[in-house]
Amino acid sequence: MSGTDIAFFLLALAAIAGAVMMLQLTNVVHMVLSLVMTFLAIAGLYVLLSAEFVAVVQVLIYSGAITIIMLFAIMLTRHHADDKERQTTGGVGHKAAAAFAVLAFGLAVYAGIRTLDFGADGSALPADNAKAIGQWLYSYYTIPFEIVSVLLLVALIGAIVLAKKDGKGAEDE
Amino acid sequence: MNDVWQSDWSLMTPEWIVLAVAVVLLLIDVAMPDERSRRPLAWGAALGAVLALGATAALIPAEPASILHGTFRLDSFAKAFKLLLLAGGALALLIVAGWNPKEGSRYGGEFAYLLLFALLGAMMTASSGDLLTLFVSVELLTVSSYILAGLRKTVAASNEAALKYVINGGIATAVMLFGMSYVFGLTGTTNLNEIARRLQETNEPYMLALAFLLLLIGVSFKLAAVPFHMWAPDVYEGAPVPATAFFAVVSKTAGFVLLLRLLVTMFAAAPAEGRDPSSLLLSMQPAIAVLAGLTMIIGSVVALRQRSLKRLLAYSSIAHAGYLLAGFAAMSWAMIDSLWIYLLAYLLMNMGAFAIVSHIVDETGSDDWDGLTGLYRHRPLLAAALGLFLLSLAGIPGTAGFIAKLHLFIGLVVTEPGHYVLAAVMAITTVISYVYYFNLIVQLFFRPLFSSAPLGRMSAGLSAAVVLCALGTLALGWAPGLAYNVLAQFDHFGDFLP
Repeated sequence: MSGTDIAFFLLALAAIAGAVMMLQLTNVVHMVLSLVMTFLAIAGLYVLLSAEFVAVVQVLIYSGAITIIMLFAIMLTRHHADDKERQTTGGVGHKAAAAFAVLAFGLAVYAGIRTLDFGADGSALPADNAKAIGQWLYSYYTIPFEIVSVLLLVALIGAIVLAKKDGKGAEDE
Repeated sequence: MNDVWQSDWSLMTPEWIVLAVAVVLLLIDVAMPDERSRRPLAWGAALGAVLALGATAALIPAEPASILHGTFRLDSFAKAFKLLLLAGGALALLIVAGWNPKEGSRYGGEFAYLLLFALLGAMMTASSGDLLTLFVSVELLTVSSYILAGLRKTVAASNEAALKYVINGGIATAVMLFGMSYVFGLTGTTNLNEIARRLQETNEPYMLALAFLLLLIGVSFKLAAVPFHMWAPDVYEGAPVPATAFFAVVSKTAGFVLLLRLLVTMFAAAPAEGRDPSSLLLSMQPAIAVLAGLTMIIGSVVALRQRSLKRLLAYSSIAHAGYLLAGFAAMSWAMIDSLWIYLLAYLLMNMGAFAIVSHIVDETGSDDWDGLTGLYRHRPLLAAALGLFLLSLAGIPGTAGFIAKLHLFIGLVVTEPGHYVLAAVMAITTVISYVYYFNLIVQLFFRPLFSSAPLGRMSAGLSAAVVLCALGTLALGWAPGLAYNVLAQFDHFGDFLP
C-alpha cells in the first residue's frame, strides 16, 4: 500500500465521518462544522488527483463562503438550540430496508469497480491546470458557461422573491 | 478562442429571443411602479415565446449543424421538440396572463420571466450534444421550477411544494450526476456522439449497466415515474396552477427529451451482457418496461380516489408518463415519432384542462371537483371544452388523445418480438382511466347546480389558451395528417444517432 493509498483512505474516512456526523448531531452549528470537515477532506482528495485549482476553489467556496452564509442564516433566524428531542420518521422496518438498500448498492458498485481500470494516471494532466481549465471554459465550454450565468441570475431572483418581506409591515422595517 | 467568434450563432435564434425577452421583462419589472398590474409582462412573455416558436419553424429547413464541438446541436430532434416546448411554454404563459388568485398575486412579473428562463433551460436540453450542456440546462429548468412552485408565498401548501420539489429534485440530480460521472470516467469525454463511439470499444458492460440504471432512475424522478413519483401530487397541488400546468407539460416533455438524448444516444450501440450483447439499451428493455407498467397501473388506480382536481390531473399525468414510457420501452423504429405525437396531444389536452381548472380555482378558491358540478347549466361552452379535453385525455376517437395513443399501441405490437404484456396493461389502465374521466364528465353535465354563485367571466389569457387547445385537440383528432406533415419534415429523426 503506497502513501497515496493511505492518504486516500484517511481523507475518504474523514469525508464520510463528517457527513454521518452532520446527520447525527442536534446542534445546527455543530452540523455546519462537521460539514466543513467533509468539504476539507474532499479538497484533500482533489489534491491527490492533482487538481490543485479545484481543491483551492473547494476550500474557498465551500469551506469558506458557503459555510459563512450558513452561519449567517443560523444567526439571523430563530431556532431552538436547546431543542434536544429528535424526531425520527419510520420504524425499524423502514430503517432495516434502508440499510439493506444502502448495503446492496454499495456491494453492487464495489463489484463493478473492483476490477475497473480507468487507465490514465495523473502525470498526463497539465502542470498548470488553472490555465487549462480557463482555456476549456472560455472556448470549448462557452455555452454551458453562459447557461450557468443565467442559472445564477435565476437563483438570485428566486432568493430575493422568496426571502423578501411582503405586506404592509415591509416598508416600515 | 477563434471558434467562439467563427461559430454560426444564428442557429440559436430561438434561444436568443427567449433570453432577450426574459431579460428585458426583468428590467421593466424592476423599473415599473409597485402598484401597476404585472399582467402586460405575462402577455409580453407569451409573445416572446410565440416569436421564438416562429424562429424555430423558420429553422426547420436548416441542415443539421452544431456550435462549439457539439455543445449546442441543432438536428431534427432538437427542432421538433423545441416546437413542442415553445408551444407548451406559450400556452402556460397565456394561463399566467389570465391568472388571478384569491390571495392576490404580487409576483406576476417574476412568474413571467422565471417561466421564460425555465423554458430556455428546456430548449437547451433539447439542443445539447454534450453532457455538460445537458446537465446545466436541466438544472436551469429545475431551479426555475422550484421557485415557481413556491411563488404563492402566503399559502402553506405552496411552501411545502417548493421544499419537497427542491429535496426530491436534489436527490434526482445527485443520482443522475453519479451515473454521468461513470460514463465520463469510462470515456474521458463529454461529447455525446464521441461517448457513443468510445463506448463501443470499452469492455465494461457491468459498469455501463450500473451507470445506465443510475441515469434511468435520475430521469425517472424528473418524469415522476412510479416508484419515483411521490413528490409529484403534492408539488402539483401546492404550486400555483400556471406553474402546475408548466410542470405537467413542459417539464415532462423536457424529461422525455433528456431520456432520449442521454440514454438513446449514449447506449444504443454500447456493449452489454444479457439478452442483446450489441446494445445495452435493448438489453435494458425489461427494466424500462417494468417502470412503464408500474407507472401506468399506479397512476391510474390512485387517480380513482382523488377529489382534488389538481391531484387528479397530477395522477393522470403520471399515468400518461407511463404510456409514454411504454412507447419508449417498445423501441420501435418510429419510437421518436410516436412519442412526439403523443406529447403534442398531451400538451394540447392538458394545457386546456389546466386553463379551465385555473379559472375554477381562482373563482371558487378551492380545487375540489364540486366546483365543476352543473357547470353545463350556466357555462355550456366552458363545460363543452372541458368535456372535450377529458375525452381526449381518456383517448376517445375523434380527439387528439386517441390518435396519439393508437400510435404508441401500434408501436408496442408491431415490434419483433411484440410487447403484448405492456400493450395489455396499457389497454386495461386506459379502461380504468375512463372511470375517473367520465366521473368528471357526469359531474359537469348531469348533476344539478351545486353552488348558486355562477362563475365569473374568463380572462382573455385563459380564453385564448382554452380556444387554442380545443381547436388543436379537435384538429389533431379529425385530421392527424396535419401532425404527420410536420413530422415528415424531420425524416424519422435519421440524424439523431451519430
